[in-house]
Amino acid sequence: MKSLMIVYNQAHNALVQGALDKCDVRGFTKWNDVEGRGTKDGEPHYGTHAWPSKNMATLAVVEDSKLQELLAELKKINDSAQKQGLRAFVWEAESVI
Amino acid sequence: MKIYESAVKKPVTTALIFVAIVVLGLFSYSKLSVDLYPKIELNAATVMTTYSGASAVDIELNVTKRLETSLSTVSDLKKITSVSKDNVSLITVEFEYGTNMDEAVNDIRSVLDMQRNFLPDDCESPVVLKFSSDMMPIAFISANADVSSKALYKILEEKVANPINRIDGVASTSISGAPQREIQISTDPQKMEAYKISIEQIANLVAMENRNVPAGTIDVGSETFSMRVDGEFKESDEIENLIVGSFMGRNIYIKDVATVKDTLKERSTEIYTNGQRGATIVVQKQSGANVVEIADKINKELPEIQKSLPPDVKLDMVLDTSEFIKDSIGSLTETVLLAGLFVMIVVLFFLGRWRATFIIILTIPVSLIAAFIYLMVTGNTLNIISLSSLSIAIGMVVDDAIVVLENITTHIERGSRPKDAAIYATNEVAVAVIASTLTIVAVFFPLTMVSGLAGIMFKQLGWIVTIIIVVSTIAALTLTPMLSSMMLREDPKRSKAFQFFYSPIEKFLNALDRWYENILRWSVNHRLMVMILAGLMFVSSLFLVARVGTDFFPSSDNSQIGITIELPVGARVEQARKMNTYLYETWREKYPEIEILQTSLGQADGANVFLSMRSSGTHIISYTAKLSDPKDRDRDIFEISDEIRKDLINIPEIYRYTVSPGGNQGMGMGTGGTTLEMDVLGFNFDDAETVARQVASVMENTEGLRDVKLSREDYMPQFQVQFDRQKLAMNGITMTAAATVVRNRINGIITTRFREDGEEYDIVVRNDQKFRTTIDDIKNILIYNAQGKAIRLSELGSVIESFAPPSIEHLDRERVIKVTGTVYDRSLGDIAADVEREVAKIDKPNLIAVEMSGAIEEQQESFSDMFTLLLLVVLLTYIVMAAQFESFRDPFIIMFSLPFAFTGVFTALWLTGTTLSLIALIGAVMLVGIVVKNGIVLIDYINLNKERGASVKRSVVSGGKSRLRPVLMTTLTTILGMLPMALGIGEGSEIWQPMGISIIGGLSLSTILTLVVIPTVYTSFHAGDIKKKRKAWAKMLKLNKAKA
Repeated sequence: MKSLMIVYNQAHNALVQGALDKCDVRGFTKWNDVEGRGTKDGEPHYGTHAWPSKNMATLAVVEDSKLQELLAELKKINDSAQKQGLRAFVWEAESVI
Repeated sequence: MKIYESAVKKPVTTALIFVAIVVLGLFSYSKLSVDLYPKIELNAATVMTTYSGASAVDIELNVTKRLETSLSTVSDLKKITSVSKDNVSLITVEFEYGTNMDEAVNDIRSVLDMQRNFLPDDCESPVVLKFSSDMMPIAFISANADVSSKALYKILEEKVANPINRIDGVASTSISGAPQREIQISTDPQKMEAYKISIEQIANLVAMENRNVPAGTIDVGSETFSMRVDGEFKESDEIENLIVGSFMGRNIYIKDVATVKDTLKERSTEIYTNGQRGATIVVQKQSGANVVEIADKINKELPEIQKSLPPDVKLDMVLDTSEFIKDSIGSLTETVLLAGLFVMIVVLFFLGRWRATFIIILTIPVSLIAAFIYLMVTGNTLNIISLSSLSIAIGMVVDDAIVVLENITTHIERGSRPKDAAIYATNEVAVAVIASTLTIVAVFFPLTMVSGLAGIMFKQLGWIVTIIIVVSTIAALTLTPMLSSMMLREDPKRSKAFQFFYSPIEKFLNALDRWYENILRWSVNHRLMVMILAGLMFVSSLFLVARVGTDFFPSSDNSQIGITIELPVGARVEQARKMNTYLYETWREKYPEIEILQTSLGQADGANVFLSMRSSGTHIISYTAKLSDPKDRDRDIFEISDEIRKDLINIPEIYRYTVSPGGNQGMGMGTGGTTLEMDVLGFNFDDAETVARQVASVMENTEGLRDVKLSREDYMPQFQVQFDRQKLAMNGITMTAAATVVRNRINGIITTRFREDGEEYDIVVRNDQKFRTTIDDIKNILIYNAQGKAIRLSELGSVIESFAPPSIEHLDRERVIKVTGTVYDRSLGDIAADVEREVAKIDKPNLIAVEMSGAIEEQQESFSDMFTLLLLVVLLTYIVMAAQFESFRDPFIIMFSLPFAFTGVFTALWLTGTTLSLIALIGAVMLVGIVVKNGIVLIDYINLNKERGASVKRSVVSGGKSRLRPVLMTTLTTILGMLPMALGIGEGSEIWQPMGISIIGGLSLSTILTLVVIPTVYTSFHAGDIKKKRKAWAKMLKLNKAKA
């Protein structure tokens, strides 16, 4: 079991949802309005006048078998529009009740 | 969920809501009636009081003054004017515009009720007359006849007036110019004297003989019969065979002492149409009825009516008020469509995409059609104002949609899917879009609150533009993102053919961007120079202000000229007739533009309230000339009028004349010329008259004034019978009895009427025409006393020639002589200034004052209203902008574009030779909202760049460069939308020309300068920002350290 946190531009909302569905990941938690900026480049997402775009974050705990497929899907989304911004972070989920 | 999010997610609902708006709007449109102006209630009422036998001075002192004093307490009163003439006092009470006239009239009534007891005993109760624009005739139909001219009245009444009266919406028709039938008993005073018979005897006899008397009922057997004695004449011939009395045992018949003629009335208005004598039928509409509809129906009926008439009777529509309305509305509709086309071309030019252009253009019909719903709900009409409002708004409705669509496109280009892009891109610009809409609303909404004449004119404009702009913003925030999400492609492919045409345009636009960037960079580095240059430009434009004349209302060509010619007072009608024939022949040659020339001369017969309101008399000739369409002729009504004036001045017989382009009976607003009025106030007749003459000569010598005349009429020549009271008393005759006898001989006595076919005709008894032509005829009049003794008038008094005193006019309870002149080819403001300067030099006797009034007074009032409005609007837009930027400084910077807008207005007016009128001023007020919009777009983006961390200069340059296209695009749509209006194509649209010119001038210049000056000023204001920020940061750190 891996925890997967996807932080992405709001514009990708429907696509990320689609990727989760496609890979048969049922459970997730989503934050609608989150702010942040990339490590290297790209525009900040603050929801302000200067930086009006905003991010969303989805936290999903995924079976190891599904992880690679999902990451590939997400990469595809990111490649389709580099400037919008999408990042995924993976770490171990130790136990689930 | 935000409104645009739901719109994108529920495209069906969104689409159908707008479909519903369009359907409702079109339905309202089909129900709207057409008129020239919004409904205007005339703000005046007239109080008429008759006091028989009183002279003008008596009337003034006993009636007019008393009533005026009490009427001046009525609320909302603007001014009181009055005319005191022999026998009658006319007081006109004028109220502020927008006063509820029903209430006002009630107030007047209650004041009059209180005063009634204080008026002289013989004085009749005052009557309040309320006029409304509905009383204006909507059509004049002229009728000419050859053989049938004697029976013309009857023919017209039965076959023309009655059918027209039956048309829905027609209130009344009246015929004038066709003499009415009358039965005249013309007596021979010498024969009467011989038989000792008086006119009164004959009159009484005829009345007694001409009577039907019901005599009750009678029962015969089982039935009841009614009894009647039918004595009424069946034929007019019966009259001459009546027996008046007997003399020396012989019966004396009426025919022995008089001739009985079944003929036409002696004195009446004569109407000539194109030199041919005929009659006019005046049509008035019911209040609230639709002029165009009625006129259409009349025009449809006329051929049918013509068929039913005898072949020699010809009908002609002389004046059809609906024609001007239809033409104006037609040309305005054209203007709106043309503006729409221009806007479309601009959008396509800048975007180079069909789909995007379609999405943006769609907001035009949607928001314009919504205005029809407003018009219908509030019961307004489709008129010049409402249509012009559409034309004004058309260039602005696309602005919001452009901004939204532009941002959506950027997002799509960055890789968003259209649906997401539509939501998030709209979200980004929504606040800016709403703010810029608010600035426009801040300009137009106050217009709905303006009072006075301007208020009536611009209330609708304010509402319509406000509604259209609000709807367009809603559409831009819902319909535009929805359509974008459905229609825009991620990678729009352009066809080769399109690419062929568009690539040069694209290259040009790119070059323009770069060129502007360079200019901007240069000016940001040479700020002082730029600002000095701009300042100089503004200051130098201030000198233009003096060169641009001012006017109240621009005048327009409605193809009508009204001319009134006065021969010396007392000239006989034959003189007038001769003059008319001469003038008609001359003018027909000289002015082929005149299509129909209608003349009326002679005493009014009083059949129609409207006609009898015009001054008439045997010496007055009035003309209405109807000219061909303005497009078909080179000279406009003003030039032709001036030529006519030159003709008239050369005719020595003419005492004075007035030529009014636009027609005699025009409502004055927006059509024809304006007048300048100088009021000479003062109690002393002679002093006032002397000053008035001096003022008149000043005005005559002022360039641009024509037809200068005094309101005080010349003294009327008259014969006065002065009875000696002692002699009257000795003979047992009262003054009234003696006067009545004179009246009956000259004017005639009507005691009964002859009935035929349900119509009644007067039977008049009086001296034959040949016995009432000299003073001796009057002196020879016999007056019988109670004993039956006949005494000649010459034994009881004398007949002297004299002059009747003129009527006395008041303005706000003071005696006044009005000196008026018609303005030709010069601005009213300049003329007024010239006249005022010269009049100030006149040496005025004590207690005599000269004041300016008329159009110039209205002009000053409305102009000051406009300046108040301008201040209010500037303040409101500042508030809106300050709220949006959350700063006092940025809106202030944007306001720097305002002076250049006014520079542009004055330059454009000066270049086109247009005067600064109320309409041009309204244009200037609107500019405030339109101009700051550019500034908002620019500053907003520069701020954005700065917040993103760029230096001030870089923010300014790159921000300016990226906003150049949207600014140019919205500006060009507005300018081109106004262009048809500024060109003044078509009848009636001349009125709006100054507005179009001032907006185009102001907007073009201010946009060009805004693009350079505003960024420069911004740089100066914000240059120290970064330093300030660093200082503040350091200070905070220090503070924290101190605390720790």
